Amino acid sequence: MKYRDNTGWLFTLPATLVLGLVGLIPLITVINYSFFEIFILDARFWVGIEWYAEIISSGRFWASFGRSILFSILILVTQIPLGVAIALCIPRGKVWVGLTLAVIALPLLVPWNMIPSLWLSLLNPNTGILGQLFPYVGWPDDWKLSALHTWLVIIAMDVWHWTSLVVILCYSALTTIPAPQYQAAAIDSAGPWQVFRFIQLPKLRHVLLMAILLRFMDSFMIYTEAFPINAGGPDGATMFLAIDLGEEIKAFNYGPSAARSVIYFLIVLTVAWTFSKAQGRLGREDDL
Amino acid sequence: MKTALLSLPSVKRIVLFGFIAFTFLPLIQMTMISFIATLPAPNVDVGSITLSNYAGIWSDPNLRAAFINSMAYVLINICITIPVAIPAAYAFSRMSFIGDKHLFLAFIAFRITPPVVLTLPVFQLFSSLGIVNSVFGIGLAHCLFNLPISIWILQGFISAIPKEMDETAFLDGYSRPQFIWKILLPQISSGVAVTAFFCFMFSWVEVVFARILTTTNGKPISMAINALFGFQTDIGLVMAVTVASILPGALLLFTMRNHLSRGFKVGQV
Repeated sequence: MKYRDNTGWLFTLPATLVLGLVGLIPLITVINYSFFEIFILDARFWVGIEWYAEIISSGRFWASFGRSILFSILILVTQIPLGVAIALCIPRGKVWVGLTLAVIALPLLVPWNMIPSLWLSLLNPNTGILGQLFPYVGWPDDWKLSALHTWLVIIAMDVWHWTSLVVILCYSALTTIPAPQYQAAAIDSAGPWQVFRFIQLPKLRHVLLMAILLRFMDSFMIYTEAFPINAGGPDGATMFLAIDLGEEIKAFNYGPSAARSVIYFLIVLTVAWTFSKAQGRLGREDDL
Repeated sequence: MKTALLSLPSVKRIVLFGFIAFTFLPLIQMTMISFIATLPAPNVDVGSITLSNYAGIWSDPNLRAAFINSMAYVLINICITIPVAIPAAYAFSRMSFIGDKHLFLAFIAFRITPPVVLTLPVFQLFSSLGIVNSVFGIGLAHCLFNLPISIWILQGFISAIPKEMDETAFLDGYSRPQFIWKILLPQISSGVAVTAFFCFMFSWVEVVFARILTTTNGKPISMAINALFGFQTDIGLVMAVTVASILPGALLLFTMRNHLSRGFKVGQV
């Protein structure tokens, strides 16, 4: 049981203030802008929900939305199982665990704007390690003209970049399983699959929920890494939601970009709400 | 007759080595290029192996300044995030107050809000506060995603401490803040270290806020690399800077490796 005590607000006040400053105030500003036509910030006209209507009714928005959803789904179905699998493969020895985790986490430390450059140089047909090998496995030189190949590169890049976060999260949850549970399973002569299904997986549920939330949202709004690979091409096949917004901001379309931001934030809220519902359900199942 | 050629432990080893090889591939590529002269220079031939790229980092005042700026804003971010996150994490872990679940939901929503959504107003707000083009501005802006994640991680660590410890301390006459400072903090010190590491990691590599908040001054390392791209890009130098930009994090990661493996715990509110 927790203490029922509204002084909790006092303890969360500093955090609320900081996030109010860097999160809430900018958000309210964006909501405000989204109802105006703005040439310069001092001269603006009320346009009501015109921008929203325009975005919602445009095929371009829904096309990007569909691409982002598809991308997130592909990322989740590769990264989550892969991350769990790798976490299960990490050796038990004390020295090796630390080293393995440190090595695996290295991609998380690369500045995001350099990640596409790394992959492009890897795929460079003249100097890249993969670029020199790939013609032998049927990878075309002009892969940038193919939507399928561009998608594969971006997915491989994201898997490279972020799977280690899933691994670290899952591994940390696995370490909380007490040894007697494994011993009991061994006495019942449970196979590896049963150990995974009935001992390891239940421990992983909370962490996996967090991993799914972070990976879903961050891949859904992928921005910095995706664009330089192929400039959203070929023919707009890798234009994701956040890239559309970035273009709008670069063009100084304050009103439409603000409306777009608000729509994206509503998506964020929906996802966060779904997540907290799922978390609540997991918590209740644990209590049973 | 089919026999099991591969036992489970060896399958695990192969999968793990395969994944590590995949992880290393781009890093090896990057390190290789960083030792190759890619632009014509007086003393070295193009394509030859050289250390001149690394020497180039040292001799370029912009790049040196960029490293210092990056360190500075990350440190500022950690110094804001950790002290603010600890009491909040304590409250979420131990107390039940009106609206606690909603507040936590709001925090998580800010963590998953893409920075690009808030770029314009954050820039305006920070310029009216006079903190654009300074490391302080970036450090503060990065609280948007680092603060919620820190609260989340710390909350898991605090929840792992038995509640009896709080009660004993209160009977001994400690107030809550005294308890947090004198008894709880030493207990969760490894949790604080892991949290600080994650703040470092997410903040060091971020570029959207870093870009819009530094148009003239205070450019961090990621933006300094961007500035190297041009009509004739010295890709060798670019890769050398990237290697150098990973080194501080790698060093931290190596020191932290056993804390990471002992597991930071993720709880629920």
